Amino acid sequence: MSKLAHPVRGRRVHGIAGGITPAANKAASLRSRIMPCPLAPLYTLPLTQYKSVPLTPAVQAGDYVQKYQRLTTSANPDAAHVHAPTSGRIAAIRNCLIADRVETLAPCIELVPDGADTALGCSPVPDFRKLPTSELFQRIIDAGICGMGGAGFPVAQKLRLAQSADCQLLIINAVECEPFISADHALLRERAADVLLGAEIVQTVCRAARCVIALKRDMHAAISATRSALAHSTVEMLLVDSKYPAGAERQLIEAVTGMQLPAGSLPLEAGILMLNAGTTYACGQAVVTGSPCISRITTLTGSALTTPKNFEALIGTPVTFLLELCGVKQHDHTATVLGGSLLGVELASLAVPSTQTTNCLIAATSADLPQSEPELACIRCGYCADVCPVRLLPQQLHAFARNHAHAQLQDYGLTECIECGACDYVCPSHIPLVQYFRAGKQELRDATRHFEQAESWRTRFQQHQYRLKREKESARERRRPESQPTSAPVSRHSPAFSREQAQNEIAAAVARSKARQQARTNRLLASVPKSSGDPEDSGGVA
Amino acid sequence: MSVQLHSRVLQRAPQSTRAIMLQVMLACTPGILLSVWFFGYGIVLNIVLASAFALFTEAVILSVRARNWWQGLQDNSALVTAVLFGIAVPPGLPWWLVATGIVFAIAIVKHSFGGLGQNPFNPAMSGYLLLLLAYPLDMTAWHVPATRLFDDTAISTLGWYGLQQSLLASFPGLPLPSATSLPAIDGLAMATPLIEFKMAATSALLSARESGLSFFARESGTGWELVNFGYLLGGLYLLARRIISWHIPVSIIGTVALLATLLYAPNSFAIYGTPYLHLFGSATMLGAFFIATDPVSAATTRRGQLLYGVCIGLGIYCIRVWGSYLDSVAIAVLFGNLCAPLLDHWCRPTIYGHGARQLPVTGGEWKA
Repeated sequence: MSKLAHPVRGRRVHGIAGGITPAANKAASLRSRIMPCPLAPLYTLPLTQYKSVPLTPAVQAGDYVQKYQRLTTSANPDAAHVHAPTSGRIAAIRNCLIADRVETLAPCIELVPDGADTALGCSPVPDFRKLPTSELFQRIIDAGICGMGGAGFPVAQKLRLAQSADCQLLIINAVECEPFISADHALLRERAADVLLGAEIVQTVCRAARCVIALKRDMHAAISATRSALAHSTVEMLLVDSKYPAGAERQLIEAVTGMQLPAGSLPLEAGILMLNAGTTYACGQAVVTGSPCISRITTLTGSALTTPKNFEALIGTPVTFLLELCGVKQHDHTATVLGGSLLGVELASLAVPSTQTTNCLIAATSADLPQSEPELACIRCGYCADVCPVRLLPQQLHAFARNHAHAQLQDYGLTECIECGACDYVCPSHIPLVQYFRAGKQELRDATRHFEQAESWRTRFQQHQYRLKREKESARERRRPESQPTSAPVSRHSPAFSREQAQNEIAAAVARSKARQQARTNRLLASVPKSSGDPEDSGGVA
Repeated sequence: MSVQLHSRVLQRAPQSTRAIMLQVMLACTPGILLSVWFFGYGIVLNIVLASAFALFTEAVILSVRARNWWQGLQDNSALVTAVLFGIAVPPGLPWWLVATGIVFAIAIVKHSFGGLGQNPFNPAMSGYLLLLLAYPLDMTAWHVPATRLFDDTAISTLGWYGLQQSLLASFPGLPLPSATSLPAIDGLAMATPLIEFKMAATSALLSARESGLSFFARESGTGWELVNFGYLLGGLYLLARRIISWHIPVSIIGTVALLATLLYAPNSFAIYGTPYLHLFGSATMLGAFFIATDPVSAATTRRGQLLYGVCIGLGIYCIRVWGSYLDSVAIAVLFGNLCAPLLDHWCRPTIYGHGARQLPVTGGEWKA
């Protein structure tokens, strides 16, 4: 534990297993500076939270809101709240299409700006060191920041966990290893000092002994900017190999510490907190300017755009609006990808808003992202195993996943797969391995759930049987003391059972049955509505 | 299994199975050309015949299995099998034997186990071995076209007469115009030089240099060694293009070389052949770079491949020296195929987070 707390003098970077080096495709969007984004005609603000219940809107349709105004409430004190990106009127609160790994309908607030952009007053802080830690943390909570590198986990929750988990090492992840994305590169190139300020603030809040910012070796402009900003900071800089997926959480931890995170444990269990560079910047701004997070840097790139660049996009801006700012070559534009070219989602509809996790939008031509070729049989060439950063054997897992061999999938470590897609990238047979693995993981989860369910039903059934047996036994116990019944029914085989008696019994049974039948008929007649069968009443619509 | 198509990896490396197969065939060409130079057109006829039968069989079986046969042929895997089979069997093998071997290889060894990617054994070597077991005489004869006509005029193996001789060997009784003027092809012109190695033969290349003959002169007897150098060249090309990894060839060649060096005793009674002859006197280079590296039937983990190569190297040497078969690459490769699944099971790499270098973690009681 203490080993993490000490700065590594030699700055030796530890290599990670596998990895690929696809064409980076970042130069085009890095040609221009980060541009401010003009006001869009409509902002759609999703109320969804990472793996949690959606936020409750605190405004109604027709309300006038100001820039920075909080629009939501939540029972969770650490929820990442939604703030108005500009002033305007709430048009509606309804389900809209958003892109959250897949395109789904989710509750959203729709805001029509009035163009005045009147903002609520904020309270800037010239020197964060004069504020108590609790105040710093409160400012970060109030800013409503989500993790901007991946899934969008609320930062406040992460920091609270870090505070209670004895955090030793804070890693700022600016590796950005996926092709096309250049948001963090641009951010560090132009605002490295602000990012480092954010890193120091977060370090203060989570009380980490050491803070490392990790960049990729080929981010030259960002490296030199960071290096000059480091002069006034306690943060260390670390350069990792230019390969994908060097920026994946577990791989970066290995690169920084030289040790691996044990299977199944979270970074915080080892005393490590990892934050994306954009997130760190947002935390810094939240404290220093006192304003909530209403924008992020989004890369707009792809050969179908005339001027690819990075925008400081307000949260909720429609994707089409952003793309048009860069000039779309309509006839070349074949696909739009949200995210990078390896983990991104191909958007079926462009009517989705950008969010805090929208790091990149690719307006691709057929040259950027060729059509997928038909899947061929696996020839077990093993290229996939060579590039797997987790050192799995995708060729074997693929065979097991096809055969639904759950025991082997587990044995060969499918659950450790980080779904980076490096195996997919190199597969000469064009097998969508990651899709097979996702489906396989789902199957494993389903199988576990079914097994648990079956187990629980089996236990319940056994308990039920046991209870029945117990009840029967206790009933027998209760009956036993009155061993000699006073008027035992005459057995049919006894001589006392005469023919006459039998006839009487049969007659009585027949009478009982008839009475029952009559009662049922009466009940039926009573239940039939009076109007039934009356042609006058049934009409109307005919 | 249903695969959700919503998020796939959108960018792919420009590498495809069919291109890999084409490159393997391309890498065979130096060896094939040298074979043609020294041993006539027999190898080309073998390859052409085997390819035709292989493609036909592949198409028929794919149709029977209700697959798209046209798309199936595109992957070039049947062609690679045919080329390797055509190289492995002796030139001048009658066409029906070529057909028997390759149809067995494609229909039974490959497709009855599920087609491309599923066969546990190398199809080309299985076909070769079937013929070796069933037709040992035909399979151990190595036809070389005669270099002189009846009237003792010298002829080229590469000329029209040479072609006719090769055609006649492959299609006995073919009515060729000048068939009668050609000398009958000897049943055995030469076996692989390994037949001689127990007499401690030295390198033919060396003796050619001593006797002042050109390396490429047919009578210098350097054919086998140069053909092996041709396959070595092709293999190095495959390594350079990263089509194959170094593990299998290096471990096969290393094992054979090590055993041959350790057991070679020039002045004692037990002479098992020089290491040089073991490596370049027979099909070792072809086996190490082209046959054993067939990814489908080989071990797939890198450490497993090293052991797989050791198995094959051991097989090659032991069968050659102490076995009844002279050329042992096919048997050794099938032996390696048998070992591969077990080796893969043993040699799984340590998954991230399961190894020794692990960060210490707390119990996680802070997780509310």
